[in-house]
Amino acid sequence: MDDGRSYFDWTAETFDPTKIFQKPEALRGVRVVEMCTLVLGPAAPDYLAEFGAEVIKVELPPGGDTMRYVPPEGFFWRNLCSGFTPVNHNKYHIGLDLHKEEGKELFRQLVAKSDVVVENLRAGGLDSFELGYRQLVEVNPQLIYLAANGFGQWGPFSVGRASYDLLAQAVSGMASITGFPGRSPMKNGIFIGDFFGALMNDLAILAALHYRDRTGKGQFIEYSQGEGLVRILDWTWLYQHLTGKERERYGNRDVAISPSGVFRCTDGFVAIAAGDDESFGSLCQAMGQPELAQDARFATLPDRLQPANNETLSAKISAWAGDKSKQELDNLGAEFGFAATPVTTVKDHYEDDHLRTRRSVWTFQDPLYGEMTEYGPAPKLSETPGRYRWPARPVGFHNDYVFRNLLGLSSKRIQALTEQGVVGRWADRPGAKPPDDWQGEGQLM
Amino acid sequence: MSTANKVSWGEWIRERDDPTTAAGKPEALEDIVVLDLSHKSMAGVICSAFLAEFGARVIRVEPPGGDTARFFSPFGLEHEGTGLGYLVEGRNKLHITLDLTREGGRAILKELAGHADVIVETHKPGQMDSWGVGYRQLREINPRLIYVAHSTYGQFGPEAKRQSNKPDYEVADQALSGILHVTGEMPTGEEPKPWEVPTKAGNWFGWYASGAWGAFASLAALHHRELSGKGQMIDITGSEAIMRFMEDMILWYEKAGVERGRIGLLDTSVFPYTFVRCKDGFTMIAGFSDVNFQALTTIMGRPELRQDPRFKGFIDRLQMENKIALHSIVEAWSQNYTADEILGMVHDYVLNKRGPGIVATGRVNSPTQTLNEEHWWKRGAFEKVDDPVYGELTMQGTPWKMTETPPRTKWVCRPVGADNEFVYLNYLGYGRDRMAALKEQGIL
Repeated sequence: MDDGRSYFDWTAETFDPTKIFQKPEALRGVRVVEMCTLVLGPAAPDYLAEFGAEVIKVELPPGGDTMRYVPPEGFFWRNLCSGFTPVNHNKYHIGLDLHKEEGKELFRQLVAKSDVVVENLRAGGLDSFELGYRQLVEVNPQLIYLAANGFGQWGPFSVGRASYDLLAQAVSGMASITGFPGRSPMKNGIFIGDFFGALMNDLAILAALHYRDRTGKGQFIEYSQGEGLVRILDWTWLYQHLTGKERERYGNRDVAISPSGVFRCTDGFVAIAAGDDESFGSLCQAMGQPELAQDARFATLPDRLQPANNETLSAKISAWAGDKSKQELDNLGAEFGFAATPVTTVKDHYEDDHLRTRRSVWTFQDPLYGEMTEYGPAPKLSETPGRYRWPARPVGFHNDYVFRNLLGLSSKRIQALTEQGVVGRWADRPGAKPPDDWQGEGQLM
Repeated sequence: MSTANKVSWGEWIRERDDPTTAAGKPEALEDIVVLDLSHKSMAGVICSAFLAEFGARVIRVEPPGGDTARFFSPFGLEHEGTGLGYLVEGRNKLHITLDLTREGGRAILKELAGHADVIVETHKPGQMDSWGVGYRQLREINPRLIYVAHSTYGQFGPEAKRQSNKPDYEVADQALSGILHVTGEMPTGEEPKPWEVPTKAGNWFGWYASGAWGAFASLAALHHRELSGKGQMIDITGSEAIMRFMEDMILWYEKAGVERGRIGLLDTSVFPYTFVRCKDGFTMIAGFSDVNFQALTTIMGRPELRQDPRFKGFIDRLQMENKIALHSIVEAWSQNYTADEILGMVHDYVLNKRGPGIVATGRVNSPTQTLNEEHWWKRGAFEKVDDPVYGELTMQGTPWKMTETPPRTKWVCRPVGADNEFVYLNYLGYGRDRMAALKEQGIL
């Protein structure tokens, strides 16, 4: 049954990244219309597009999505905002003015031919345009429609409050449990509520698709990113309920797993954890202090979790790790069987052969932009692997492709709609337009 | 199109997706059976919890005596013999025992695998395979099987074998993903202070990210299976799960040569977008686009800041020294008010249209403050569950509202092996004598 090959030889072949484009896509045939901006909205269709969904991103011409203009420290590369592309892969970009009646009609025609609509405008925004769920379900009774925002579609905070990722971190309690005691609550270094929230959105969309596959019924879904972060604060709420105590900031200590922490070593920092008794025994061996595993203060996980014991143990690990290098600790973890992983930087990722082989660091040659590198699809599927076909595109880049092939409009009609400003392309502005040396490459017909 | 404008959108949709109306409606995944073989890691437990919230029939398989993950709990606290993190993620699952280290246990797993649509596991890479119950063996029994394996480094790749002896801990996932390196306070002097270090996200973010991607991939694979009849194996690492969220860092590094580091409460791409001190703690405040900066400076009563060359344009406000200066200026103002007073000023500006643009603001809540806000209770973000085993508990609800198949919490968790009789009878037809014998052999 196991054909005699070693497990890792078998996985190397089963997940062989050079075969990605020879394999099918899990979500091929699912069409998504996206009316989204910034990150929480666009990232959800992006993850679906990585696994084969056909995503049509609708933007208001000629400026398009605000995220086109949010580059790190103002850096544009070949007129592309680097912050825009991580959440806009493999999409078909069209420019359509929904303020105009013909624009609304084309939008409805698109939705009629689609499976899913995703939007993250303010609550009721599209409804006031007569393009919300209760209008669109009339043109597509099987529609799955997801609306994502900060506080939800109804409830006391749903009116008059703008929201961003960082506000969700603030109001959910996430920031309050991140950081060191006695210091300020800490902002996570990435848009954690947006990128993770988008993934949560997809869980509901995919569950709804599964239900529709069985029953033919679509539905409306809403997601509040504040509630999403509340959901993932593990034991915070139960702890409050049972003890009446507040969860504090504990720095890098995990008060629920011991040992677990981030330790300074000679050339950086290493995360070390050995919560279960078996790996704790291995860590003690590696430390050359096997007697610690028998010590009454540390012998079992509940013992190690007593605050004083946890602190003492951390201090011992800290002293031991302090004169070793990242690589030494990494090697000891692999040899003895406990978690020891260096704190890595983007440069480490860029140079990492393991991550490149796994396509978690994905370098591709794009007809518009040339060679570029991004973080690749996260889960690795043996039969239907995720893939990047292209990065983000300028506003309205696929107008012809979508309006001609999907809606059957003639060139003449598209031309007329363009002259009326219903359909539009990019503004002459970095973030919206193609690279300056673009000669028409990468267009689809 | 005639439905619009009779009742407001908010009222209309609430009538259809308020989670208090969930009971009695169908569940999206009620036809799916999941075996959760998680071992000493919450990644798989969380993966199966998300699937269980959407209605999947999840059978949680633990070794006799219970999985270690049951005891990852603050200060070792237990409630009715179970840790708090596990209680939260045990929702809607049946709990059975089975000793996979014994041949007899593995034979039973093979029988169960014939019933499973999805298997989730977190053993060290290669462990299940060496026992003869990995994906390449179980697919012979069940070709439609979807098999999800969670780890820190993955099942393939040049480092996979060397790193396969490490258990999957979420702090390691955070370290390898890069999030640790970019979160926390900036070093301020020669001698870094104890808190000026890479700082982990306070929750088990590595495991939550890993679990959510596991659920995502399972559902995508199920969709593929509907069409093709084929199952597959899915390899998830907690590190790559977060890495996918690392924004544009790698492109910025490649094209601009900039290696992102820690910038505390500031932000790389937008400013102001930060926390500032206020009378009663901290508040979040954002007004980074030109029009929203106009709104913020108007509310602050400091319109002249818009003419200051340091803050005039979007890009000016992103220069590090300008960000630091602007943060102090906003904070000098915000310290005179409570977070709610600032929210009141923003509300007044936005709702009474006192000028263009909007400002986003809100108190940086402690958990108690979040728990005391009516909004989250009304929307079911929190719920009180009256569980037959664990009693009345307050915990997080399911975050999704759905009109047809709303997710829900049916029960909190179950004790170790609580559902042995039901599951082994229901799926494998084991009678009382067989069960007693297996128990005596220590296999259950």
